[in-house]
Amino acid sequence: MLPLSYSLRNVSARPLRSAMTAGVVALVVVACSLFLSLISSLKRTLIASGDPMNLVVMRKGSDNDGSSQLSLEAYQAIRFFDGIARDRTDQPLASPELVVQPFFRTRAGGRDNVLVRGVEPVALAVHTGVTISEGRMFRPSAHEAVVGRGVAGRYAGAAVGNELEFGRGQWKVVGILDAGGSSFESEVWVDVRELANDAKRPFPYSGIRLRAASPAEVDALAQRIESDPRFALGAQRETDYYAKQSESANSLYVLVVGIAVLAGIGAGFGASNTMYAAVQARTAEIGTLRALGFSRRAILSAFQIEAVALATVGFGVGAALSLALSAAIDVYLGGIAFGAATFTTNVISLRVSGQDLAVAFFLALSIGVLGGFGPAWRAARLRPIEALRKA
Amino acid sequence: MKYFGLIAANLGRNKLRTALTASAIMLAVVLVCLLLTMPAGLDVILEKAASNTRISVHNKAGIVYSMPHSFTRKVRQLDGVAGALAMTWFGGAFEEAGRVTFPNFAVEGEHIAAVYPDYNIAPEQLADFQRYRDGAIVGRQTMRKYGWKIGDRITLRSTVWPVSLDLRIVGEVASERAPMLWVTRTYLDEALKAKGRTGLGIAGLIWVRAADPSRVNALMREIDELSRNSEAETACETEKSFFANFFGTLQGLVTIILIVTGLVALCIVFIAANTASMAVRERAGEIAVLKAIGFGRRVIFGTLFAEALLLSLAAGTAGVLATSGLTRVLRAVAGGNPTLGPLGSFIVTSAVIVDGLFLSLFVGMLAGVVPSFGAARKPVVETLHEVF
Repeated sequence: MLPLSYSLRNVSARPLRSAMTAGVVALVVVACSLFLSLISSLKRTLIASGDPMNLVVMRKGSDNDGSSQLSLEAYQAIRFFDGIARDRTDQPLASPELVVQPFFRTRAGGRDNVLVRGVEPVALAVHTGVTISEGRMFRPSAHEAVVGRGVAGRYAGAAVGNELEFGRGQWKVVGILDAGGSSFESEVWVDVRELANDAKRPFPYSGIRLRAASPAEVDALAQRIESDPRFALGAQRETDYYAKQSESANSLYVLVVGIAVLAGIGAGFGASNTMYAAVQARTAEIGTLRALGFSRRAILSAFQIEAVALATVGFGVGAALSLALSAAIDVYLGGIAFGAATFTTNVISLRVSGQDLAVAFFLALSIGVLGGFGPAWRAARLRPIEALRKA
Repeated sequence: MKYFGLIAANLGRNKLRTALTASAIMLAVVLVCLLLTMPAGLDVILEKAASNTRISVHNKAGIVYSMPHSFTRKVRQLDGVAGALAMTWFGGAFEEAGRVTFPNFAVEGEHIAAVYPDYNIAPEQLADFQRYRDGAIVGRQTMRKYGWKIGDRITLRSTVWPVSLDLRIVGEVASERAPMLWVTRTYLDEALKAKGRTGLGIAGLIWVRAADPSRVNALMREIDELSRNSEAETACETEKSFFANFFGTLQGLVTIILIVTGLVALCIVFIAANTASMAVRERAGEIAVLKAIGFGRRVIFGTLFAEALLLSLAAGTAGVLATSGLTRVLRAVAGGNPTLGPLGSFIVTSAVIVDGLFLSLFVGMLAGVVPSFGAARKPVVETLHEVF
């Protein structure tokens, strides 16, 4: 067996070629992990929203709450339905909400349609995944707003303590919403009555979010609402609602995955090519080793180890680069805006997760193993006499 | 060209390496071109669909905020206005799809011609649109997607208004990327009143065409001034800027796409450079012999450089061809998909083709120049010494 140090010394013995091979792998790792994090960030934002215990109540036929309208009477009747959870003071956990999409100015000077949700204080009890992580909840009738984490980083005047301009007036930002990366972090919450006034909506609400008393009650409650003849309302699980909204991004996933696969294949060719070159350049050396009595298997594994070592170095450099790049994108662009099928902008913060890096590492490793195998095989099969003659 | 045989023979010497290199370059060119078609599609759409003499008038607060419909009349009376058309989002879902898959608006038929002369809608079709209150004018893209033709009847269920409208298609906007569908404003108004609602008193957007292109900016200021201190203050912008803003949310994705494109391009340069230097090293002895028997440095450099260029250019051409084939497929799959917006348009413009070819040429040059130069410069004796 050739010592491990032989393989490792070879990596540093030809710094230029080693750097090139590792560089190719590093670039693949960067491209791959950036794309993967784009997908996982999109998924986290669009699919991870909602609570399976919650129901979204809208006008029948509406497929998003931005286009639904609901009367005060409907809300007052629905909130006392059986099967709705209640808080300590015995008030039903029913949150009447109004959704409007006004222009927001980005710090870069553009404008996006941001989802502004008019709510009552009960909203925080219904949306269990949403918390105020900084500052406090808005006070009703004080023209205050709390903004999602994604919104705070992207728009002018959206930091706590600032005046945020949207709709017909200015709103004082008093808190930051944290929702575990879900799409609520792309929203701004204000007092529902103030928003209805500002938007001059004929109906005060676009929908109601309800929290069921128990998991068994969810479907029964939905049934009760759907079959009530007075208001023609539809009810669905909040998780289903957001899953449906996220369908708009499906074609994007396909696109991104396709591109990542193409990039991976291309890089595989490249890495393989450079490894072949490395073997060819060392024909004489291999012949000498064989003549000294090293077995084919020893040569094969030595080259294979060298390829894997190079791939690992490449992965390390690439991972560091992609973490730095994604952080830079978040800081300088304030996240990536993605316009979903509705007119709202989802602010996606690009986070390269451990899982993304694990996949990228696997890819780098396979480039090393597969790209290195062919050349290593060739090296091992060289006949000593011929190899020496070339020298 | 008398050295062409030598170059070709050199390319065929290590077929595996040539194939690997060519495939890597080709794949990379495909990837880069494919990614570039997306921002290119965005530009093409803005260039084709939008005009700088058409002005969008919308509420300052956002396009989901409305304006009183009566404001349209005030705008129409301004000096220099060739036409003004109120548009209100109908949000109709077609029964088969069940959700809104194409933009549809209620419009005023009698003002279409003045605002959209460039749409070239046949006068008799416009006349039908005004004659039949249930008429609809549909863009060619949507017509084709659903296999509709003039005379067909369809039903749209609004997701915004509590009505469904039965429509007859009376006209077509004969432009390739025109997904819109227009229904008459009076029809929607009557349908709402029949449901006991107040009629359609609002306009979502007002499109204005300026008679004089040089007065567009002045006209925009005048319109905004006209709405100042009213219930609904407006913000005017040209159609081009309106759509650029509308698609602005895609800019973030485009940025990521361009970053990755850059990385991939860099990747190929590495690969190609490495291979070219290999090819040269392998042939050191042969090059020395060529020099020894009297071939000049220029020929040595030229043939090696030409080899790298030829390989990458051939791979680049194959890549560009593959891209245009692939985009055709992708367009068929994603073309009708509104969620990708202009990113789904995958338009291979001549600029994209040129970019792809330039990329491969650039790679070839960068990869070929250093080893070729090195080989050409090395003294004969030294090289021969290495060989024998």
